[in-house]
Amino acid sequence: MFESIKNAQKLLGMNARNLSYIRPFNRKKAKRLADNKIMSKRVLGKAGIPVSKLIAKIKSIEELENFDWSVLPSSFALKPNRGFGGGGILVVYGKKKNCEGTWIKSDGSTINIEDIKSHVLNILDGAFSLSNTPDIAFFEERLTLLKLFKPYAYKGIPDIRVIVFNRIPVMAMLRLPTRESGGKANLVLGGIGVGIDLATGVTTTAVLGKGKIIDYVPGTRMLLSGIKIPYWKDILLLAVKAQEVSGMGYLGADVAIDRERGPVFLEINARPGLSIQVANLSGLRERLERIKGLKIKTAERGVRVGRDLFGGEIEEEVEDISGRKVIGTVEKIKLIGKNGKEIEVEAKIDTGAGFTSIDTDLAEQLGFEDTVREYQRIETAYKDLRAMSKEERWDIFKSIPNIESTIAIHSASGSTYRPTIKLSIVMDSVEIPTKVTLINRSHLKYPIIIGKRNLRKFLIDVNK
Amino acid sequence: MENINPIVSYFVSQGMPLETVKLLLMLPIIVTLIAFFRQVIGIKAFGIYTPAIVTFAFLAFQQLRYGVLVFVSVILLGMIMRFVLKELRILYLPRVAITLSVIAIAILVLLGFGGAMQRTGLASISIFPILIMVTLVEKFVATQIEKGNKAAVILAVETLVISIAGYYLASWPLLIKSVVAFPWIVLFTIPINIALGKWGGLRISEYFRFRQVLKNIK
Repeated sequence: MFESIKNAQKLLGMNARNLSYIRPFNRKKAKRLADNKIMSKRVLGKAGIPVSKLIAKIKSIEELENFDWSVLPSSFALKPNRGFGGGGILVVYGKKKNCEGTWIKSDGSTINIEDIKSHVLNILDGAFSLSNTPDIAFFEERLTLLKLFKPYAYKGIPDIRVIVFNRIPVMAMLRLPTRESGGKANLVLGGIGVGIDLATGVTTTAVLGKGKIIDYVPGTRMLLSGIKIPYWKDILLLAVKAQEVSGMGYLGADVAIDRERGPVFLEINARPGLSIQVANLSGLRERLERIKGLKIKTAERGVRVGRDLFGGEIEEEVEDISGRKVIGTVEKIKLIGKNGKEIEVEAKIDTGAGFTSIDTDLAEQLGFEDTVREYQRIETAYKDLRAMSKEERWDIFKSIPNIESTIAIHSASGSTYRPTIKLSIVMDSVEIPTKVTLINRSHLKYPIIIGKRNLRKFLIDVNK
Repeated sequence: MENINPIVSYFVSQGMPLETVKLLLMLPIIVTLIAFFRQVIGIKAFGIYTPAIVTFAFLAFQQLRYGVLVFVSVILLGMIMRFVLKELRILYLPRVAITLSVIAIAILVLLGFGGAMQRTGLASISIFPILIMVTLVEKFVATQIEKGNKAAVILAVETLVISIAGYYLASWPLLIKSVVAFPWIVLFTIPINIALGKWGGLRISEYFRFRQVLKNIK
């Protein structure tokens, strides 16, 4: 119970969303832009963000009566300018053969000019607009479905919702239309929301409608996790750019992927819903609070920060299953030397090396000055040492303070006998007490390489 | 007999019915209750006006069950009419006008039927609470179009729940006595509302909505 209240602090509820994010960061003017689809299409387009093409708009009943229906292509989407929650959108997929003025809808039924007229009338009358104010209807080009999404989406086009705050993408989900949602990707209408790992663009967990956790597309064996979203970085970049253009501090960006054009911006949303937290099984508030007040100069930088800070869900899952930590090829580590002396350095992870090797300068800083001095004084050639017996060699080295043993190391730069010392490595918050070999690495990029012996508790991701 | 504050007795001496004074003093408390339901519990209803006015309608009906009966009938008819009128494909206002007309006639029949069944309490209800109930349907139909049938029904049920709670609160004898004796306690609703308006915590309904997330957050 107590745990649950503590965790609740990490979630963004309706109250906090309105009070702490929408109210202070989304000015009225910006909200008006977001609620006006035609205008935001124009503003976004001007800023170089790809948007779906406007075919025609109908502003009044007079314009409707005089409308030239021949401008409509075989497939299009009819939308209310100030619609919300996916209401009032009509999509047709093709013209019916040998039947002028008849189109086919997503469910296979046909629709003629009279039906479209009636729908436009409803839009003009404000049936789908916020607070029922009179509205404008517009036709735009229909996007074509990406092959990758085909088995997952029922009829409509999936889109990707990205929450952007302070120029940083904070959370994202893939929205899939279902039979229940009538081919629309909105969760409130019964669509599927699939959480996305921000770092990799790979889907994680999924929610159906407003709160049912699912693993598969209903009625199929299509697993919803593990889908790799193409153009991931571009999508995040578009979302951040849209935030810059819109002047809103907190927004939901909806991006679709067209088969030919790639990522296409759908719309900006001034009051993005909270179900994205269920799709990701993760709290928004905690993330938002971490980046409040950060100074982000460019969209690229914001995307990088978002991916670094909020990505890694998949990695965590791998860590859970394997019981090992996932690390990259270069890791920031902490070394604990003599008398508890601590130094943080970047280490190269080297699966080609057996032992961990540390640079002599670094060893000095860790309190092994005497060891290093003695070792450098001895300087016996490798071939001489090799000819000796184990005992003879030990006689030479044993006077070195803090020495543990000597080990022959064969590397690309030649073979050496190196003394080893004892210290502790802290990598990804795992402490490993170990023996490391001493060598002069001053000509190399990293002062330490971590060898196989110390990597048993880790998995290495070369992409990290 | 009753402990009446001088301010209240002044209003009454100026010709205001005590009942009106009581109701006006009760209004801030009822709307605060509605705000509390929204911000803390997470029950939305149709905004603040509708549940408040329905509460007053319930109070005017004298008997809660008649109020609920009329409320439910209006909502049910609103739903039925939507499906009936869908086929006609007509514009919004004329459609609502037809719905309202049908409901007005239906209520007339209902009340007449109540009278015939010797339920005089039903037949003698004054026109204003009935009008309030009838116009409620506009809100319902608008929500149906905007958010769909299911959402509209949920909001209607929520409105009913809040209005019933409001009804019981406003007819609580101790509270009525208190506002008559100490009308200034009504001012306490202002700091309460300021606190509600600045409260950013999760609503109780959101604990339910996000239960899966709460379980999974580390």
